[in-house]
Order: sequence, then C-alpha cells, then structure tokens
Amino acid sequence: MLPLPALVAFDTPRLALSLLAVEPRLRGIAFSAPVGSGKSALLKGFSTLVPDIHSIDLPLSSDTEALLGGLDIEATLRIGTKIFRDGLLAQSNGSALIAEACNLLPDQTVNLLLGALDEGCVRIERDGISRRLDTRFCLLTSFDPAEGVPRAHLLDRLGMIVTLPVVSAHDARAEILRRHLTPHDEEWSEELELMRSVIYSARQLVPEVTVSSRIASQLIEVAIAMGVEGHRADHFARLVACASAALGLRTEVTEEDADLAIRLVLMPRATQLPQTAPPPQAPADEPPPLSGDDKSQEPQSTHKEDTPPEPVDEVLDAITMELPAVLESLPFAHQRSGRAGSRGAIEGSRGRHIGSIAGSIRYRRLDVIATLRAASRWQRLRPKGRSRVCVKADDFRVKRFRSKAGSLFVFAVDASGSMALNRMRQAKGAVHALLAQAYVHRDKVALISFRSDAATILLPPSNSVELLRRAVDQIPTGGATPIAATLLKTLEIAEQSRRKGFKNVCLVMLTDGRANVGLQGDRTLIESELKALGRRLGESGVRSLVIDTQRSFISHGPGKSLADWLDGQYLYLPNASAEQLAHAVKGYRANTDR
Amino acid sequence: MQHNFPFSAIVGQEELKQAILLTVVDPTIGGVLVTGHRGTAKSTAVRALAGLLPPIKFVAGCPFNCDPAELAPGCPHCDRLQTSSPKVVNRSVPVVDLPLGATEDRVVGSVDIERALVDGVQAFSAGLLAAAHRGFLYIDEVNLLEDHLVDLLLDVAASGVNVVEREGLSVRHPARFVLVGSGNPEEGDLRPQLLDRFGLQARIRTLTNIEQRMEVVRRRLDFEADPEAFVLRFSYEEKKLRSKLSRAMKLRSSIQVSSEALSLAASLCDKLAIDGHRGELAITRSAMALAALENQKIALPSHVSRVAPLALAHRLRKDPLEPAADDERVRRAIGEALN
Repeated sequence: MLPLPALVAFDTPRLALSLLAVEPRLRGIAFSAPVGSGKSALLKGFSTLVPDIHSIDLPLSSDTEALLGGLDIEATLRIGTKIFRDGLLAQSNGSALIAEACNLLPDQTVNLLLGALDEGCVRIERDGISRRLDTRFCLLTSFDPAEGVPRAHLLDRLGMIVTLPVVSAHDARAEILRRHLTPHDEEWSEELELMRSVIYSARQLVPEVTVSSRIASQLIEVAIAMGVEGHRADHFARLVACASAALGLRTEVTEEDADLAIRLVLMPRATQLPQTAPPPQAPADEPPPLSGDDKSQEPQSTHKEDTPPEPVDEVLDAITMELPAVLESLPFAHQRSGRAGSRGAIEGSRGRHIGSIAGSIRYRRLDVIATLRAASRWQRLRPKGRSRVCVKADDFRVKRFRSKAGSLFVFAVDASGSMALNRMRQAKGAVHALLAQAYVHRDKVALISFRSDAATILLPPSNSVELLRRAVDQIPTGGATPIAATLLKTLEIAEQSRRKGFKNVCLVMLTDGRANVGLQGDRTLIESELKALGRRLGESGVRSLVIDTQRSFISHGPGKSLADWLDGQYLYLPNASAEQLAHAVKGYRANTDR
Repeated sequence: MQHNFPFSAIVGQEELKQAILLTVVDPTIGGVLVTGHRGTAKSTAVRALAGLLPPIKFVAGCPFNCDPAELAPGCPHCDRLQTSSPKVVNRSVPVVDLPLGATEDRVVGSVDIERALVDGVQAFSAGLLAAAHRGFLYIDEVNLLEDHLVDLLLDVAASGVNVVEREGLSVRHPARFVLVGSGNPEEGDLRPQLLDRFGLQARIRTLTNIEQRMEVVRRRLDFEADPEAFVLRFSYEEKKLRSKLSRAMKLRSSIQVSSEALSLAASLCDKLAIDGHRGELAITRSAMALAALENQKIALPSHVSRVAPLALAHRLRKDPLEPAADDERVRRAIGEALN
C-alpha cells in the first residue's frame, strides 16, 4: 500500500485528512469514491499523520454485540463477578475507526454510530449491564456511489465529505503505476515527516485562530443559500476554516480558508441551488431571543444594516456551476435523501435475534447468557465440581432468529402523454396506502417516473410518508415512452435493495402507451430489448405488474404485450382510484407471495 | 463530571422549549416527541431537561423509585419493609436514557446475573423502566427503536405497571414515566400506536436567521472549550427557569379552564377530524400548564390556540396529497375556529 504523500491526484483528500488531524472535533470524513481509487490507502494513511492515533477497522459484519460489547462469560465465571467486555465503539476511544463501504453497513450499526459520534459516549444497556463509556473517535469512511448512497444522517455527523477525483488522465495513471512499482519508502518518508510536523504545529496554533464576524456570517449565509439542514454544518464549517488557517500557520481565517470550508463541509450538504434572496420561510414571529447571554457584546442592529456583502454572491456564483453534480451524487437533496429507517430493514440472512428457547444446540446457536441464567437457578442444588457453574443439557437455550420478509414495490409511472399527472396522483395515493400497511409487512416503496429518454427516481426505496409527500409533485410530462430505460433503473434499484436484504422486488408499472424509445435508438430492436430486460428482471427475482391506464375500448394491445414480454401480470384499470390501485397491488402480492 | 449543555443556552427553537416545559409542569400531558431536521438541538434540549428538574422524595434504597407518601402496593422492595414510614431521600426527578441496542432484559429487568452466578440466588435486578418511574424515559432516534422494544413500551405505558414473568421470576412494579422521544421522520416513520402515546409533538427546523446561527456556533464552541465556565455563565438563567417551573408546578392543580377555551379545544379536534379523545385531553392539559407557566389562574382560548399545533399536528390523518405541513393545517383550523 502506498504511503499517504505518494497518492496521486489526492491533494484535496490529503488536505481533508490533515484538517481532521488538526481538529479532531470534525469527527470524521466520508470519501465518495469508486472501487480501486485508492481510498483504502487514504483511510489507512490517516494514522500515519498523527503518531498517537491508531486505526481500528469496523467490519461490515459487526453486530450489535460486537459494537457495544457485553458480558465476558468466561471471565465472569472465573472471577465470580460480572466482567464486561468492551465493544468496538468503546475500544475506539482516541482512535480512528475505519469503515469501508458505509453505505452497506447494517442500519443498526449506523444507528449506534450516530449516537456515539453525537455524544462522545456509548450507552450500554445489555445483558444485565448498564454502562456509559466515553468514546471519542474519528470515523473515516468511504462509499462507492454506484452501490447506493449512505444515510444522510451518518454523513451529516461527519465534518467533511470529499468526492475523490476519478483519475483518468494518462499521465496520472502512469505515475500511479510508477509509484507502485518502484520502491518508495525513503522518497516519501521525508514528505510525510514534513506533513506531520506542520500538523503538529497547527494543533498548537488552532486554539488561537480567530474568525472575523464578516467571514463567520458569510459561511452561514452560504449554508442558508444552499439549504443546508441543521446547525452541525455551521459548526463544522467554522472548525474547518480555523484548522485550515492553522495549517497555513496563520492565526486569522482568510477568504481561502472559508472557501475550503464551503467546499468540504457546506457544498456536499446542499439541498438546493443557491438562492441569493433570503429564504421566504423565515418566520416573522420568531424573534432572535439570545436569552441569558451578554447582549451588549454583540449589538444585533448594526449587523443587519451591513448584511449584503458582495463576496457571498461571488462565492455562490462559483458554486452554482459545480453544484448540480453534487446534488446528484449525495443524499442530501430533498427528494433523494430517502435512506429509510431500520424499520423493515433486514439484517443478514439469519435475521434478527428475537429471543431464545430451550432446545438442542445441534442445529442452532447457543445463547450463552440465557443458558447461564437458566442454569443459575439450580446451582444451589447441583453438586459443585471444579467449575463454578454446573450446566446441564436441560439448561441449553438456543437463539431464535426472525428473518423479515419485506417486499420492495417499485412504482414506475409513465409521465409521457396527457394523463401523466393523473397517473402520478393515483400512484402517490396507492404508495401511501401501501406505506400505511408497511408496518405490518415491512415493505418499502420506491417511485420513479419516465418520459422522453430517461427514468428518474422521485422517491428512493423508503417507508417514510414524510418523504413521499416531499417527492416532487410537479414533474415534467409529455414526450416519448422509454420503457427500457425504466426497466434498467428498476434493475439498479433491485440490485441495491438486494444487498440490504430485500428479496422480493415488485415492479408496478403504470402506463397507457407503447414503448417507443429503445436503448439503441433503433425502433425495431425495442421488442427484443424489452424481452431481454424482462428476462434479466426475472432472473433478479423482480416480478412485474403492468397496469394499463389507457382509456380506450379498442385494444389492450401495447400494455398486454409489454406484460407478456416481462412475464408479468396485466391489469386493465383506467380511472382507478388510489385505493383500488393499492388494493390491486396488494392482491397481486398476496397471490405471488406463496 | 459530564456537563450538559444548559437548557437556557439553546438559541431559538421556542416551540421545542415550550413543549418540554409544558410536560415538566404537567406529566399527565403524556410526553413529547421532538422531530425535525438533522442537527437542530433535538437531543441537546432533551438532555438539558435533567438540569431543570426539582428534587423529589424517594424511599431510600428502593430500586423502583417508590414515593414515600404513597408506597406502591406490591413493590418488591417496599413490601418487605416492616415500617410504614421508611427512610426518605431527596433526588432530582430521574431522566433515564433508553439507548438503541438495549436488550429486553435491561429494559424490563431480569435475573441478577452476578448473584445468580456467585450465590446461586434468583434475585431481580430492576431495569430501565423501574429507574424511570416518576420521571422521564428518553429515547433518542425513537423511530429507529426495535419493534419488540416498542411493543414492550406501549404495553407498560398503557398500564403503568411493568410485569416481568421470565426465567422463573415473577415481579410486578409500577412504572409510570413521561415518554420523551426524538427523531427525524425521514429516517422512517414512527409506528402510529407509539405516535399516539405522545401528548405533544414539537417540530423543529433549521434556524434561518444568520445572527441566531452565528450565536449557535459561538455557544457550541464556548461550551466545548470550557464546559464548566459555560454552565456557570448560564447558571443564573437556569435558576430563574427552575423557579419559574416549580412555581408553575405548584399552581398547576388550581388552574381553571374557561368554557370558551374548552369549546375551542373541542371544535378544533372536531374540525380536524381527530380520532379518539387523547387530543382534547392533551390540548386542554397543555393549555392549563401554559397558563400556570405564565402565572395566570385561568386557561383562556389564547392558551389553547398556542398549544394546539403541539398537541394536534401529529394526530392528523396523514394525507400525501395535502401539500401543507401538519402544523400548518392546525394553524389554519385555529384561524377558522376563531373567526
């Protein structure tokens, strides 16, 4: 593995790591990067920057017990008092926790990380043990956006989010190759040493760095203009600006430092293109109550008069150019932020441990604690041998797991043609009706629309009614009917969901038309394309339901043949209400679940 | 010593602060659910609550938090005491954390493993529900709580009694607590039954005032730099708030409700087609608590209309085609009802 300074074209990521080394309150960095881009070397390289920090790996498979810890049975039995074994989170105190592919971490793991990052401690209420352990760690994580985005809540708690450059230039590739092939250690160790000493000095300097109120308010204006949610980002932006100044061995934050903070902290969290006008929703009835503080220290009125500083506009203009790509690739923009909660999610093939029962350990996993509990009540009566506890076969308790059988419904709504908005309303209503029952069935729903030459995800797989409501109402309509593109999008969603454990994926397609745009631009190929895609959907376990909304008495032609090609079911439901639609989908589910 | 961020140092978020204060004044309102944007002081505010609560009396040594004035019949600890006037200790109202990843045995209580292993005795070790009795039970990210724990909570919240029948133990003890939860609905919705258990829902948003946001950052940095000095800086404000609260708690039982206020509460629930009567009760109790906080003797329609969004918004039937947010709908209904 290459040492940190040897990584080609990684100036920004390297800088981010240095900033974190200077200011650990930034909590961590998320790197968005495709496979093989050298992100592992980057994550591991952090500990070489700061001598007193070592790295701990967070394996994808870590379960709750591995993270939180639990009763150390062996030691407890030997010593005779409860001995607690620390989990990964507590062990990480003062270290860098490294999680590759944070988008694939089980929900429960992410939930526990969120709490620990926020509070700087782990709260443990398990196995008869109640603990609160301090743990301050940096989380260094990466994800491949092609495999789905991580939860916005996790990213929000990390100071910086950095998209790694795709190294494509020929020269850079050659350079990478050269550095890999030639022995490099001495060449880079000097440079690494330099980085270390700068970081060391910067750490001493950072408490002395000051920020002018002009730059402080500029950072917040930019955050507001980009619709950044919450106040963590403000705090992180300030920390990055100060750390950046300290790295430059300055004690005053400059425009460049602020610019870096905008790039590393605020831009990735944008939910909208900058709006230079103050947001209209600022509630008039909410006066700024700065209770309890020394009010004279900052006269509020003077600040409001000189609020329009032009630099903000300039900064925003520069950002506006780059922002659309960011909005596209990160989960913060509204309609894309749909990483749904743990409810209905599935944790591994064995499912969740739901309790333990007496039984044979031949086929199932022993629940040690439950077994000891069962054994404990007889200890007085049983002969004490050399061991402290006498366990008999009757005491064995084995774990029961329940694997949740949730389905994912992908609603694909045809937005071409005149009745598109109507169909959209139907679909949203039906989606809502399904979500109302999602608690029972642990289902999730995704919503995509298609028109012209592309399919767009309006609601990624989610069980949140809140997100559904936010999913855009006003979609562009009209144009051609790109069914093949829709099927591809469905496949993509199905693949991502499978990794999270959804075995049943059901495509519900609402359309009134005929597929008239192929992938290859040749109309005669459309049929064979659709058949091939239909086969692939079938192989991926996606079942299809085509709902024909065409108000015509003449023919059910296009919809019917589409259903045949997809080897799916066909329903003719013009003018259906949302309830009828939901009912039909539920009926379909009931028929095919067996 | 871990310092909590002081309640009075939280900038803005008046709705959130008010909701929390109301449930402190009257625990029968039924707890608060705090929802909203990421990073908007949701859990900071709830954790700060602990600093505001007055001390109350407990039976010394009782793991079930019994009230000396009213010993719970069947309390496994106090029943064994030979005296009717046990030793009393003063402690502040408990705020107990129920963290994600908690196991059932710690929540409801279970065999004391240590004593079982060492002495072979079947002793009961009280769980979080016992620890939260007469106080607050706080669940951060409540919408991510595992289902089987939610079932348990619903059961106990409804009956006020925790019944443990497991591993050869048979224990029942009172467990009445105010449920406080926080979470972000984008991460997954709360189960409707659990949602209904919360008396109030405070929705909080990202502040949009630059001056306020700068102050948020400044206070956060000051707190991180020197928590002790920061807490000291706000100690006067905290003290003022505590005495305001304890005055309101005393006043609370003597508050009257005007008939106009009652009829406004009823007509709001009717207009918004709210199922059941928890809504009316929550809104009336909150109006009374608000009156008490403001040192008034009678709850008026103005009190009702101010607490209505807190008490009713989460009880509306969800309608994805309705573009307005729930609290907006409540405000609209108030406007209509008052005209």
